Amino acid sequence: MNFKNSALAIIGLVALGALYSNLHAQSSRSVWDGVYTQDQAKQGQALYNESCSSCHGDTLMGGESAPALAGGEFLSNWNGLTLGDLFERIRTTMPQNRPGSLSREKNTLILSYLLSVSQFPAGKTDLPQQKEVLDQIKIDAQKPDKK
Amino acid sequence: MRRKTSNVLPLTALFVLLGMTWIAISVSGQGAGYVPSTAKGDWPYYTADLKGSKYVPLDQINASNFNKLEVAWRFKTDNLGPRPEYKLEGTPLAINGTLYTTGGTRRSIISLDGKTGEVNWTYSFREGNRAAIAPRQLSGRGVAYWTDGRGDDRVVFVSTGYRLVELNAHTGAVITTFGEHGMVDLKVGMVKGAGEQIDLETGEAGLHSTPLVVKDVVIVGSSFKEGMTPVTHNNTKGMVRAYDVHTGKQLWAFNTIPRPGQFGNDTWENGSWAQNGNTGVWTQMTVDEDLGLVYLPVEDPTSDYYGGHRPGNNLFGDSLVCVDLKTGQRKWHYQIVHHPIWDFDLSSAPLLVDINVNGKAIKAVALPTKQAWLYTFDRVTGQPVWPIEEKPVQQSDVPGEKTSPTQPFPTKPPNYARNFLKVPDDLIDFTPEMRAQAKDLLSRYRVTDRPFNPPLVGDEKGLLGAINVGNAGGGTNWPGAGFDPETHIVYAQAANSSAAGLSLRKPPAGFSDLNYFSGRNDQPFREALGPGFGTAADSPLAKTVGRPQEPPPAPAAGRGGRGAAAGGGGGFGLNVDGLPIMKPPYGVISAIDLDKGDLKWQVPYGETPDNVRRILTEKGIKFGNLGQNGSVGLLVTKTLVILGDNQVTNPGTHPRGAMLRAYDKQTGKEVGAVWMPAPQSGSPMSYLAGGKQYIVIAVSGGAYSGEYLAFSLPENE
Repeated sequence: MNFKNSALAIIGLVALGALYSNLHAQSSRSVWDGVYTQDQAKQGQALYNESCSSCHGDTLMGGESAPALAGGEFLSNWNGLTLGDLFERIRTTMPQNRPGSLSREKNTLILSYLLSVSQFPAGKTDLPQQKEVLDQIKIDAQKPDKK
Repeated sequence: MRRKTSNVLPLTALFVLLGMTWIAISVSGQGAGYVPSTAKGDWPYYTADLKGSKYVPLDQINASNFNKLEVAWRFKTDNLGPRPEYKLEGTPLAINGTLYTTGGTRRSIISLDGKTGEVNWTYSFREGNRAAIAPRQLSGRGVAYWTDGRGDDRVVFVSTGYRLVELNAHTGAVITTFGEHGMVDLKVGMVKGAGEQIDLETGEAGLHSTPLVVKDVVIVGSSFKEGMTPVTHNNTKGMVRAYDVHTGKQLWAFNTIPRPGQFGNDTWENGSWAQNGNTGVWTQMTVDEDLGLVYLPVEDPTSDYYGGHRPGNNLFGDSLVCVDLKTGQRKWHYQIVHHPIWDFDLSSAPLLVDINVNGKAIKAVALPTKQAWLYTFDRVTGQPVWPIEEKPVQQSDVPGEKTSPTQPFPTKPPNYARNFLKVPDDLIDFTPEMRAQAKDLLSRYRVTDRPFNPPLVGDEKGLLGAINVGNAGGGTNWPGAGFDPETHIVYAQAANSSAAGLSLRKPPAGFSDLNYFSGRNDQPFREALGPGFGTAADSPLAKTVGRPQEPPPAPAAGRGGRGAAAGGGGGFGLNVDGLPIMKPPYGVISAIDLDKGDLKWQVPYGETPDNVRRILTEKGIKFGNLGQNGSVGLLVTKTLVILGDNQVTNPGTHPRGAMLRAYDKQTGKEVGAVWMPAPQSGSPMSYLAGGKQYIVIAVSGGAYSGEYLAFSLPENE
């Protein structure tokens, strides 16, 4: 192999390595890693009040047959699952009287608002809309440092 | 001689031919007769048998091998409808190794091979808007089965659009000779007001429970929307009707709201019978085939928490009614709650147990309830087996409301779960500080020393609500209880920590003709849709039924986190540091000896919920099994009582999931537990197929869509 080819091979390997570690880092993300933006949460709050609060409460504490969307019991129910699981559940079955009527984008904004109420930190990157990507963000009830 | 021979031979040949044909028909199954029974290892009714027992005399699966159970097969209901369902509540029937049940957002009917879960056939039909806006949606509780014993086998069910349908059990084809092309429109004959037929498309009526099939009769109840925030008190009137299983012709109808001239009409003062509805039978009925008596558990009249538009005791609301199987004539009744305003609907199948009390044999009926009292009567005469005392109770101060001065209190058996909040004994007591906090919290509510604390008009500046336990969700809710017909023991799981501060509010302008309903004036209005409502297959296409809605509230600006809507449920707002205001156990399983009228044993149900575990662990407080809240169904076998957790937990001793648990019938000791990926959402059942015992249970909830899970022992067991 000549020098040029070797250099290209090395660059390729380094690039692959970077890509791999990037993917790896992405797949071990959790809700503590700043996975949504403040702006998304703000937009989500308006949408939540319009579409969700009538059953889930204006402070997300729940109602007769709608569970809380924040707090200990909610986090216990979803702890260990991923944002993709929660997103799909909301997207396909909510709001209860008009299931599936909200766009993926609106669901992402509402989910961002939910995360903000549970005091998971906001960050610089938008919460994505694709289930497969959301599947890579784990819901951890406990902040990692505390464990 | 020759002539005789020539006659005999063809005759013999004919007999042989006939004989072979008969054998062929028997073997083919199509013409073969099979009469199912639990004695054969079948599960022919939602409640196992017509008496409501949930009992099957099997013990191939027992305490020695329960922990070895494996998932034999699983059936997901995701594609039975345009989207998955997350509230699968069916209990399959098992007839000679074949299962029949409902599934999916369109309430499809499915037939499965009980050994493998393979689909034999499925059936569904598009009902359009009528089903999309129906009050009782998703797959419901299952189907019923009828056979003539000679191979004419049928599946009988009620669709989401409220039609009674019969299918050929072997093929799933509609029995076109039944009703009109296989269907009876159950909305025909449903009325409101003084007798006005409801609109066949938009009129409110539906059903979750299975029909009751006995002899050649199909008996069907009726159900409506949740009654916490109704738009009118003049809602559809409930009724129970019987139909001929062959023709679909109506045999009789029982009006649960008596009409003028009928017994009980005068318990609706000021002619209010004509302006109120509901009072249906939405849960399972049972029947004594030999006596020809049917037992109807009736629900609340319209508006679960306010009765100002229906003064009087309101028969037969919240009553157990016994009617004649042939004629539908009332034989006797007993009203469990007078002038019902606590959402204490009679929620489950009355249990027809033959007992022996003080040497006297009694054919009894025992009624599990949200109040966790097992009201027990002679099922022939209606006489209470043990005295039921009318006791004075708290009176309502809500304008226009007139409560009954007394309510019935059974003396025996004792309540098998809490039915009121005893202060301070029932309060959280992990620490003295927590108990003090609980008392402090309760100072904002009206607390009584007995059940039947009437709702009040809650106010931030005054009392927030009236403390009640077990409304809406029980105690015992729709999953009901079971019993062992040989030992006369009733087994009942029950919620033990559902406290709520019942409050009423004035409806928003134009929303309802009721003066008051569930809610609080100083809180944003929330229409209580009820679990599952709006989730039907074609729901997004549903037209709204002309109801003005209050505009959505402005974003929350510093409102307290109470969310204290009235009505039953998990005690949101009534918690101390995130823990339930009541001390554990949060849920219980009880065995009640009906010969003695006593509790035989009582153990916690399920295991400690994760958030309670986390909070107590963080505070350094030690605890045992605190149980879980909620009402679930159970299964009784020769030696075991079997039921699953209704919550997912991750305690570290098993993977994140829910456990299916077996208890020794005699002692209540947990003798085995197997892991499930999701909580029990339908009541378990058990059957034999190919000589092997299976347990099937519906699981769903959270992120896990509906699935029927079948368990059996490994091959070499």
